[in-house]
Amino acid sequence: MDGIFLQQLVNGLTLGSVYGLIAIGYTMVYGIIGMINFAHGEVYMISAYLAAISLALLAYFGIESFPLLMLGTLLFTIVVTGVYGFTIERIAYKPLRNSTRLAPLISAIGISLILQNYAQISQGARQQGVPTLLEGAMRVEVGTGFVQLTYTKIFILVAAFVGMGLLTYVIKYTKLGRMCRATQQDRKMASILGINTDRVISYVFVIGAVMAALAGVLITMNYGTFDFYAGFIIGIKAFTAAVLGGIGSLPGAMLGGIILGISESLFSGLINSDYKDVFSFSLLVMILIFRPQGLLGRPLVAKV
Amino acid sequence: MSQTFYKKGFLALAVATALGVSSYVQADIKIGVAGPMTGANAAFGEQYMKGAQAAADVINKAGGVNGEQIVLVKGDDACEPKQAVAVANRLVDQDKVAGVVGHFCSSNTIPASEVYDEAGVIAITPGSTNPQVTERGLSAMFRMCGRDDQQGIVAGNYIVDVLKGKKVVVLHDKDTYGQGLADATKAQLEKRGVKPVLYEGLTRGEKDFSAVVTKIRSAGADVVYFGGLHPEAGPLVRQLREQGLKDVKFMSDDGIVTDELVTTAGGAQYVEGVYMTFGADPRLLPDSKAVVEEFRKNGTEPEGYTLYAYASVQALAAAFNGAKSNKGEDAAKWLKANPVKTVMGEKKWDQKGDLTVSDYVVYQWDAKGKYHQLEKQQ
Amino acid sequence: MSVANTASTSQTKGFDLKRSLLETIVAGLLALIVFGPVVGVVLDGYTFNAEPARVAWLVGGVMIGRFILSLFLQTPTGQRMLQGFDSGGSGVHVLAPNYKSRLRYIIPALIVIAIVFPIFANKYLLTVVILGLIYVLLGLGLNIVVGLAGLLDLGYVAFYAIGAYGLALGYQYLGLGFWSVLPLAAIAAALAGCILGFPVLRMHGDYLAIVTLGFGEIIRLVLNNWLSFTGGPNGMPAPSPTFLGLEFGRRAKDGGVPIHEFFGFEYNANLKFVFIYAVLFLVVLAVLYIKHRLTRMPVGRAWEALREDEIACRSMGLNHVLVKLSAFTLGASTAGLAGVFFATYQGFVNPSSFTFFESALILAIVVLGGMGSTVGVVIAAFVLTVAPELLRSFSEYRVLLFGVLMVLMMIWRPRGLIRISRTGVVPRKGVAP
Repeated sequence: MDGIFLQQLVNGLTLGSVYGLIAIGYTMVYGIIGMINFAHGEVYMISAYLAAISLALLAYFGIESFPLLMLGTLLFTIVVTGVYGFTIERIAYKPLRNSTRLAPLISAIGISLILQNYAQISQGARQQGVPTLLEGAMRVEVGTGFVQLTYTKIFILVAAFVGMGLLTYVIKYTKLGRMCRATQQDRKMASILGINTDRVISYVFVIGAVMAALAGVLITMNYGTFDFYAGFIIGIKAFTAAVLGGIGSLPGAMLGGIILGISESLFSGLINSDYKDVFSFSLLVMILIFRPQGLLGRPLVAKV
Repeated sequence: MSQTFYKKGFLALAVATALGVSSYVQADIKIGVAGPMTGANAAFGEQYMKGAQAAADVINKAGGVNGEQIVLVKGDDACEPKQAVAVANRLVDQDKVAGVVGHFCSSNTIPASEVYDEAGVIAITPGSTNPQVTERGLSAMFRMCGRDDQQGIVAGNYIVDVLKGKKVVVLHDKDTYGQGLADATKAQLEKRGVKPVLYEGLTRGEKDFSAVVTKIRSAGADVVYFGGLHPEAGPLVRQLREQGLKDVKFMSDDGIVTDELVTTAGGAQYVEGVYMTFGADPRLLPDSKAVVEEFRKNGTEPEGYTLYAYASVQALAAAFNGAKSNKGEDAAKWLKANPVKTVMGEKKWDQKGDLTVSDYVVYQWDAKGKYHQLEKQQ
Repeated sequence: MSVANTASTSQTKGFDLKRSLLETIVAGLLALIVFGPVVGVVLDGYTFNAEPARVAWLVGGVMIGRFILSLFLQTPTGQRMLQGFDSGGSGVHVLAPNYKSRLRYIIPALIVIAIVFPIFANKYLLTVVILGLIYVLLGLGLNIVVGLAGLLDLGYVAFYAIGAYGLALGYQYLGLGFWSVLPLAAIAAALAGCILGFPVLRMHGDYLAIVTLGFGEIIRLVLNNWLSFTGGPNGMPAPSPTFLGLEFGRRAKDGGVPIHEFFGFEYNANLKFVFIYAVLFLVVLAVLYIKHRLTRMPVGRAWEALREDEIACRSMGLNHVLVKLSAFTLGASTAGLAGVFFATYQGFVNPSSFTFFESALILAIVVLGGMGSTVGVVIAAFVLTVAPELLRSFSEYRVLLFGVLMVLMMIWRPRGLIRISRTGVVPRKGVAP
């Protein structure tokens, strides 16, 4: 035991918690209107830009303490990304509310093209980045080896789980959460009972965008770099995570993310990183063949 | 040779002045600049365009090509082979270009060059280093850069001779360029008796390489070689350092030759000490001094492939002038027989269209985030 | 920003200027928050350059646009347009029994145009149209799977890749040419569709989607990673088609005779593309005809029935696995055909042509065309492949405009350009109903 295996677990856990945060956006939107929001990865990408912009702005105003920087960036990014989520829903999805199931899917693909190129045109094609905010690492001795935990990674894990906890609280115990759940269970009934379902759907898009914003800030901090293309791969991975955990289920999204992260990390660490994505997708296919509703999803009951 | 070039230029200028207004009526000569103007590699397309435009302006001021003014036509392939074929056909048929500067991604240059060859258009790529570009018996395909196999030999030798690597890890980005280069380096390492302890591919577009980094740690590597571009190289080197591998030497290729490497690595402190192979820096050559200053005066740093594109346009213009014809076949024949004085020094091509002298040298990045050619090359 | 806020239509006659102004201000505020940071603060390393003018222009533009739109939607014409957007309507449109479609005249006219086309077209136009026809094939194939059978397939590009690599690999290892691979690739893709289809077809809608997405990615990754067999990211050369053993190149490559030398005319680089175009056009016509017949056969009806209500179908004794499999297999084999044409057209294949985005594009063709509508798919395939080429003059705004086009078309016609329609029948007299 030289710490290598444990280190790979930690690597996978950080990666997975990030996947999980983005997966929440997919799972909530799917749960409520049954639509795969392909533009969600791009919303994350925009939030990464916003995080970098806000850091640059704060640095310009001479703010240097880490807590203040973090707080300012989080607030700024979350608010603006939330507005993005709201606006996108208004423009591209709401007019399609009552049409076929695939129409919003195509519209979402259009939106993701728009967002990618919008970011590229307005910010330039270059790679963007943020300076390293939290330097240094913690070294935990394990047997003959060690596990290296950067402070950034610890911060990410804590922030991701706090974010998840807050969201779970909102969905479980607040009025907004009850409205969301009611709309998810039966949209028509909910609207009969006086819930403005259109508004609830807007809220859900905003919540998804907010979680993507949180992920955007955290990922940008950890890896320090991104570009206008960053949303694509991570979007597909997060979507896979959402399905793996059972699409529509909040804890499922987090669990799916972590399983995906750890399996990728272990596979590329122990076997071969060339085929790690092949492995993750095969894992997904296997799980879905034997458990079609995903790990924590509710089984589909066909109604006549 | 510069004399002939400039003489031709002055001659053309003289003729143009003599003809007076009539020269304005003459048709322009069109040169296509093809590369990724959109998409993930758009930064390089931008460099191409800047370099080519600057060269065209200077040549036009000096009288143009065979008395005609150069007009650049932009062709965007977004680094997708499918689009490269469409763009190539468009440049050839719609725009009727006489020559092409492009493309960037080797996977695009290869299919596009077939189109140019069929149409008898001369093409010169400033940045595609894959050997296959010129290895397919095409008559009018040239390059302004070296080849991956040449670059790999330099990198492999440097790792063995100077870095004294015993346990070498070779990584690549699973793309034509990166993997081709990594293979060449690996081959050279094996030839020198150093068998890489790990040889793996990363996925382009990903940022989390911590699993591979941990693997490097467990392999006890002393040198890591990465064949690929800066969007992956930056995070990779950062994560190496973050996992406590401070003494492992990191070496990469001419795909990271841009200031953005510092941004992608999260600060200059992470790129400090990174080695890379690149053509002898054209910005340091005496020939390029005036041109570089002109660029800087206009507020752009002629980094990466800017001067390569500049030199490519110069080479095309010289070939057309030298052959006294705007036909691709004549120009290609001329270019294979005569050297051209470019902004990057005097260049000569062999029968395949490769440069006769590869000038790959090793650079190192410093703590300020700038790169310097190393004194000690062997 | 704009179409959206109008969902709450008012019934007021005349102009409600106050409301328009309010909407304008809201739109302006949203635009300021959305565009302000990303457009106005351009990152430069770890610092930035402020560009407030761009933001001002954008926000101003949005506000003016919103104001005009708001006023327009209060006019009677605008109201009528809104009504048009809201109408949902059912999936299938039934025509009168004796309805004669105008297509009777249009189709022969189009065929004539298509035959005359290569004479006038230059090579660039030809290649664009060939690409368009390849996407027509892909669209038709996916239309069977998604449009008719209602199975959401996000990994359709895998079968396309199988066809394309079939040609390249067959040429490399078995020495097969274009003509022998053409049927083989269709069979290979069909087999792959069968193998994939069997385990996954018991899954429901969107789970099927993600599994097929995974399958598509797996195929691409294997093609990319299996260096010794497929050449990895370097790709592989694919042969040009031959005509009775005659080659179209300037010089013979595969031991054949170049066609211009055989017949003794001047070399013409267009000829290869004209030939590909001609063969492809015939194949597209054949596929169109087969598909047209299939939708009227029991199996075609079964696909549509299954799409509408699976439980009802199964309780009526329809073998749902067989029906779904047949759709999957047929769709896959069409993609295999398209792949062969793509490889020979490009002369080179590599994995970057078979990304998820390609699947999404094909899906967009099917949805934009109108799910299940053949004519719609043909139109949409051309719109989506020709549009990016037409937009080339906008250079860097090209893909952005393409995205805008996609969203606008979806809002304008969420059910696709052409609705599925079906001729009604009148029961014959004397036959028991």
